[in-house]
Amino acid sequence: MSLTTTYNEQELVMALKTRNNQAFEYLYDHYSGSLYGIILQIVQNSTFANDVMQEVFVNIWRKIETYDPAKGRLFTWMLNISRNASIDLLRSRNYQNSQKNQELTDSVYGSDQVTQTSTDSIGLTKFLVKLRPDHRVLIELAYFKGYTHEEIAKIQDIPLGTVKTRIRNALLQLREYLK
Amino acid sequence: MNIQEYISSGIIESYVLGLASPEEGIEFERICSAHAEVIAAREAFEKQLEDQLLQQRIAVPRELKSSLFSRIAMEEVQQEPRIPLKKPVLVPRVGFPRMVAAASLILLLGSVLLNLYLLSQYKHSIAQYKDLLASQTQLANSNQSLNTKLLNYETAINHMKDPVMEIVKMPGVPASPSPSSMATVYWNTSSKEVYLLVNQLPIPVTGKQYQLWAIVDGKPVDAGIFDMEEGTHFMKLKTIPRAQAFAITLEKKGGSDTPTMDALYVMGKVTG
Repeated sequence: MSLTTTYNEQELVMALKTRNNQAFEYLYDHYSGSLYGIILQIVQNSTFANDVMQEVFVNIWRKIETYDPAKGRLFTWMLNISRNASIDLLRSRNYQNSQKNQELTDSVYGSDQVTQTSTDSIGLTKFLVKLRPDHRVLIELAYFKGYTHEEIAKIQDIPLGTVKTRIRNALLQLREYLK
Repeated sequence: MNIQEYISSGIIESYVLGLASPEEGIEFERICSAHAEVIAAREAFEKQLEDQLLQQRIAVPRELKSSLFSRIAMEEVQQEPRIPLKKPVLVPRVGFPRMVAAASLILLLGSVLLNLYLLSQYKHSIAQYKDLLASQTQLANSNQSLNTKLLNYETAINHMKDPVMEIVKMPGVPASPSPSSMATVYWNTSSKEVYLLVNQLPIPVTGKQYQLWAIVDGKPVDAGIFDMEEGTHFMKLKTIPRAQAFAITLEKKGGSDTPTMDALYVMGKVTG
């Protein structure tokens, strides 16, 4: 009975707001692969990515009432929840400790022991490699590491105005690639 | 303001990707509510982004889905059950004494309400009972793990303060793969039992294990292999009757018959 059910975006949002399990399963089957990609690109570790992924979908389920279609598409809303949750993880003590241990191990045994998931060819990263290096590093810091423009200006030692202009230009190029 | 310029300034992409500052976001939403063409441009970019990302899915581990859905089912149970109350329709019946009809309907309605109330109370109590049971188990578990930890610490302290303990400090050797390493042997001079405290050693890679060696008359004697998973990093190894020095090397899992000298981390001489 549920095999052939498909939803357009409005129907899906309506069904989710009434806490319909079948709609949520459709949402998961349809979008989890893409959101998992973005989470993995940010946290770079599949164990952590699995935890974040579960948090993200529990939050989507809990917070669907607060989703406002006037502010953007459902996918955009979920993409931002995924990115924010991933960046929150990067800042967590648990994650930072694991990175320190990793560095220690790397420095002793050489970095060929690192078993990171390669995410170079998926999602936005695929387009990122087409950008100029000085633009790319800013998008990496802003989008994938979650730094504010002010923080980036400090890290890169360039004026805040330049950071803003370069990020805007890079995003416009990104849009061209997405077409 | 020129709306076309605003649209092509990059603000749409910043806003959609979550890179706009809070002030820029508020301004953007304000402008959206006044200019349909900004909304249209935003939706076009959102659609492009979505189409691209939906084409590039990554296989999600299968078990994630089942654990997510069981977690959501749990949350459902814990929420107050909502039972819709339908108003019963009163149909006047001809030839039936009105008072009796009204009284029986009131009684029936009362009974239905009472039943619904009791049902919701019952579900509520079940949910609370499950919660309590879960937190009780959790508390018991964490209590047990704390007890085990405490016991480990107590044992370690008792051994360390025992006056018969000979303490052999083993700093990192100059050629050590990690010169800042340090470990300490506590050697019971009467029972000859050897305990090891790891002050600082890198976590070994998979397939490798540290091995302690006693140097007896210039020859290395196996004094036991050890893992660093245990919380205390204080552990009892093999009993060694006689030694002039102790050292630690990194060996293959299970240990070696002779030490690998270029994987020598720390070494210390017995002073007594």
